[in-house]
Amino acid sequence: MVFLEAEMSSNVLLSPEHLTPQGLLLRKSIITRLFEDIANKKASKEHGYFIAITSLNSIGEGRVRTLTGDVLFPVNFMCLTQKPTKGEVLTGIVDKILKHGLFLKSGPIDNIFISEKLTGEYKYVPGENPVFLSEKQGKLAKGVSVRFKVVGFRWMEAERHFQLLGSLAGDFLGPI
Amino acid sequence: MSGEEEENAAELKIGDEFLKAKCLMNCEVALILDHKYEQLQQMSDDAANQVSQVFEKSLQYVKRFSRYKNPDSVRQVREVLSRYQLAEFELCVLGNLCPETPDEAIAMVPSMKTKGRIDDDEQIEKMLQDLSLIKKFE
Repeated sequence: MVFLEAEMSSNVLLSPEHLTPQGLLLRKSIITRLFEDIANKKASKEHGYFIAITSLNSIGEGRVRTLTGDVLFPVNFMCLTQKPTKGEVLTGIVDKILKHGLFLKSGPIDNIFISEKLTGEYKYVPGENPVFLSEKQGKLAKGVSVRFKVVGFRWMEAERHFQLLGSLAGDFLGPI
Repeated sequence: MSGEEEENAAELKIGDEFLKAKCLMNCEVALILDHKYEQLQQMSDDAANQVSQVFEKSLQYVKRFSRYKNPDSVRQVREVLSRYQLAEFELCVLGNLCPETPDEAIAMVPSMKTKGRIDDDEQIEKMLQDLSLIKKFE
């Protein structure tokens, strides 16, 4: 998958107990809180998945919120992100096989579905351990690495993740 | 259910963010995340608990799907691919999927040809040969 190093800005809110006269501790608190905020946020519709903060560009002047006494620091940083693109070829690992299609995972993306209508030559074979089988091209079973094309995706706000639809109908797609 | 209406990686109709930001291949990301994980381990005993699930899953993924492991090879791969008129996005897809034939390369990155930048298969063949040489000497 293609990863992006994107420039981002965020506001870090620190409550008064973090504010000490020693500048060094303050910076550490801001950075720690930023890391926590980004980890909790997981992903956004605009940027995709937040993988890791790679560098800090600047920390702006803190602004006190008069009612609570908390201080807001604007932070600018570089972040490694990943976002799906329609038409992109991705590699994933088969997670679950059902009659109507298969579910894959790929890196941070947990929710990828390939409908049995889009599995090309591969057909469902029921059994205790069901698989998708193609005479010429091989077998898709749990744990197999698969190359597929992204047909579409959508952002699920509640779960804060992307749901992808994939296809195996095409040259050079399938198990690798 | 669909992505944005106009978006289509096959034609390089991708978001602005892909065209403006730096794109990274799996092998490059593997080096970055490994390094970050080491840094965390030095700072605390409990590195595993400090990284997010997204980080963990991405690290596992890029380690599994990186063709090139050592930093020099990774640098060379980027250098080789940069010699051709490729968009960063296309460069990363090629560096990740490591197609073996020009046909496969074109199937993975159709936009290479449609934008008229890489017209003949010989160029692609040369590019793929250079990439597999790096692998041989890794």
